[in-house]
Amino acid sequence: MSEGVIIGGWNYVIAAYSITATGLILYAWSLVARYRRSTRDNED
Amino acid sequence: MKPISKWIHVLGITGLVLLFVGSWIGLFVAPSERFMGDVQRIMYVHVPTAWNAMLGYTFAFAFAVASLWTSRPKWDSAVTATIEVSLLLNALLLVQGSIWARATWGVWWDWDVRLTTSLIMLLLFAGVLAMRSFVQDPDRKATWTAVAAIVAYIDVPMVYFCVRWWRSLHQVQSTPETVSSSMILPLRMNAFALLFLGIWMVVYRARLETLRRRQDQVAEPARLASVGGMEDV
Amino acid sequence: MTIPRQLVTIVRKDLLLEWRGRSRILSVVLFGVVTLLLFSFAVGPDSVMLRAAGGGFLVLALLLSSILSLSESFRVEQEQRAIEGLLLLPIDPVALYYGKTISNTLFLSLLAPILSPIALVLYSFEIGPTEFLSLIGLWVLSAAGLSAPGTLYAAMTSRLQSQDVLLPLLYFPLVTPVLMGAVKSVSLILNGDPMSQLGSWAALLTGFAVIYWSLCGLLFVNVIEEGS
Repeated sequence: MSEGVIIGGWNYVIAAYSITATGLILYAWSLVARYRRSTRDNED
Repeated sequence: MKPISKWIHVLGITGLVLLFVGSWIGLFVAPSERFMGDVQRIMYVHVPTAWNAMLGYTFAFAFAVASLWTSRPKWDSAVTATIEVSLLLNALLLVQGSIWARATWGVWWDWDVRLTTSLIMLLLFAGVLAMRSFVQDPDRKATWTAVAAIVAYIDVPMVYFCVRWWRSLHQVQSTPETVSSSMILPLRMNAFALLFLGIWMVVYRARLETLRRRQDQVAEPARLASVGGMEDV
Repeated sequence: MTIPRQLVTIVRKDLLLEWRGRSRILSVVLFGVVTLLLFSFAVGPDSVMLRAAGGGFLVLALLLSSILSLSESFRVEQEQRAIEGLLLLPIDPVALYYGKTISNTLFLSLLAPILSPIALVLYSFEIGPTEFLSLIGLWVLSAAGLSAPGTLYAAMTSRLQSQDVLLPLLYFPLVTPVLMGAVKSVSLILNGDPMSQLGSWAALLTGFAVIYWSLCGLLFVNVIEEGS
């Protein structure tokens, strides 16, 4: 991996990608969980 | 109510795969940028997030017009869902942009035009959703949401224009815009990835909204609007 | 009654109510003065900084005062359920909206001639009479830009007990273009305008006002339907 003028850049890159992934996963998971709960309640 | 079409799930999975592949290429295969080095790779997730957030709000605007025009609840569900998903992307893009700013200029915030506009955009649309929780009557909720969403959306170009002018009076850095051709592939892949994932999330969220509305209707049949007064209607 | 006449009736009624309840105008003005003071305390008595930021402080004080008067503008109708009365009369929602917006613009404009001299004194600005008039003129233009979305949202939130939170939350982010335009123009008047940018900022504020007045007027009819 070539180095650029900015050193230690990988930490920032990792941070950006992981926060994005976490945000998406948490939201998607909450959607599915709430949806399942809702369809269950609706059938009762 | 029929279950969510399996094609939506296919779309979601496709999006996920694309996101993995696109990010992999962006992180490990694409060349390093000449001046910024590897930090520039943040762009492969930041730019697609920004594009899709803006696209989402645009759809919210279109759904809001449809909601006002037809007064049909499915459009209200669509407005709510698209705004919420776009807000998620909006929040993510602010975090990514802030990390970028810290990496390149050493500050977490530097009043960059697009970031500043994004922040105001977040506040605008978060306000629309916040308002929903204070209104009980579903028809009124739908109408007001649509009105607020339309006004918010039309405001965005005005905000952008103003912030740009406001900034130009002081010499400030701008985010680099040029992208070389070898970088286009991961950018496009992630853009479509987030689009597909976004659609998947919007469909789920809209369904959720419709289900909630039905549950509310069953629980409170006496939803006859009482005349005026200072209650939450 | 034709629409223009309805409009005039509404404006006249609002102005009359304001005049009868003069203490309200006075309270809003006092609030504006307090805000100007608070900003100065935030910065400290450094006159250089105060002059640099003074234009911004004045506009912010006016903006914060605007929220108070806007939230009242429909509450006055809410008490004694006068708004149903208004709707039972054949008042066109268009007339209602523009009448209310005009009253709100006038009321907000009234704050400028009172708060500006105070800001001038507190922040040690010296400007001539023509500049003072431009200041007032610019404020009227900004007030027009603020009143249009403000009236729309005030109407929407006036029925909710949470209005005092919801109205600022919806209104402040929305009017940031007007806010920026106003701060820039006022600062140019107070601190000098070597490159004659004032004209373009005034044109910008006019543009915003036109957009808001048309858009919000169009949407108002959706918001005012009762008991649907």
